[in-house]
Amino acid sequence: MKFQKKRASVKQQIPTASLPDIVFMLLLFFMVTTTLREVDVLVKFRLPEAKAIEKIENKRLISYIWVGYDGRIQLNDSIVKLEDIQKIMYAKRLALPNVIVSLRIDKNSEMGIVTDIQQELRKASCLRINYSAMLKI
Amino acid sequence: MVKLKKRKLPEAEIPTSSMADISFLLLLFFLVSTVIDVDTGIGLVLPEYVPPGEQELVPISKDRLAAVLVNENGDVLLNNEIIAIPQISKVLKPRIESKIDLPANKKLVVSIKTDRKTNYNLYIQALDQIKEAYFQVREEYARSRFGKRLIDIDDRSEEMKEIKEKIPITISIAEPETVKK
Repeated sequence: MKFQKKRASVKQQIPTASLPDIVFMLLLFFMVTTTLREVDVLVKFRLPEAKAIEKIENKRLISYIWVGYDGRIQLNDSIVKLEDIQKIMYAKRLALPNVIVSLRIDKNSEMGIVTDIQQELRKASCLRINYSAMLKI
Repeated sequence: MVKLKKRKLPEAEIPTSSMADISFLLLLFFLVSTVIDVDTGIGLVLPEYVPPGEQELVPISKDRLAAVLVNENGDVLLNNEIIAIPQISKVLKPRIESKIDLPANKKLVVSIKTDRKTNYNLYIQALDQIKEAYFQVREEYARSRFGKRLIDIDDRSEEMKEIKEKIPITISIAEPETVKK
């Protein structure tokens, strides 16, 4: 007796015609969500962690100030001195009246420098600030 | 008569088999370069700058004020009582709750002050505790008043407005003192 292997008579093939469409859809999603990094961060910092944090809805309004573990301050894309903050931030505020300043400060910094920056920001009347922090799990 | 034979044109076709490959390549690039970083943090509004000569002292009754002092060792002084940072929200919560039904000018004001040598992380932890206390009170109010969780209430709705009016978050950063060096 001859055994015959049972095989489906239909062609075994995955239809790949819609593959480009699917890939394009994914591609579009990532293209839309991508924000290419605009500035190089020149200082090293580790953010503190907190529980009661909020998201900043409006990314357009944010302007960043970084403070590294060595106490260097970066504004825009260069290291600045403490005294220069007021001038730069005031110009920023004129261009964008409700600017939110996001302070990305290393968690081992001292409060002295934070207070100094805050005083400069107050003089430049940039009053809305946000202490950048990671979510504590 | 010569029969005009129509020349058969070869079918014009764009080879699309490599399209998937090309789009995969693009996809990979965007996948790798994407940074979905949501900016999270503790929001605060600084007080307006007033030159030292023009500063006016506004008396605030003891009952309204919760002064939080954080020193460089991480000890917290809350209204002359020494506590640890994780206890702040527990101490503040009943005080916020007791003032829900009072008018706006009688709500609690939390003032936070640190040493120059205080670690930034400690300050954020203390601030986090204060915010946490406020959020807990708001959450409980939302549940008992509207039967909803706080995150389910729309930010622009009347309900949110009422919550914000009843439990405003007023955190004041104390004016730094000039220190002798």
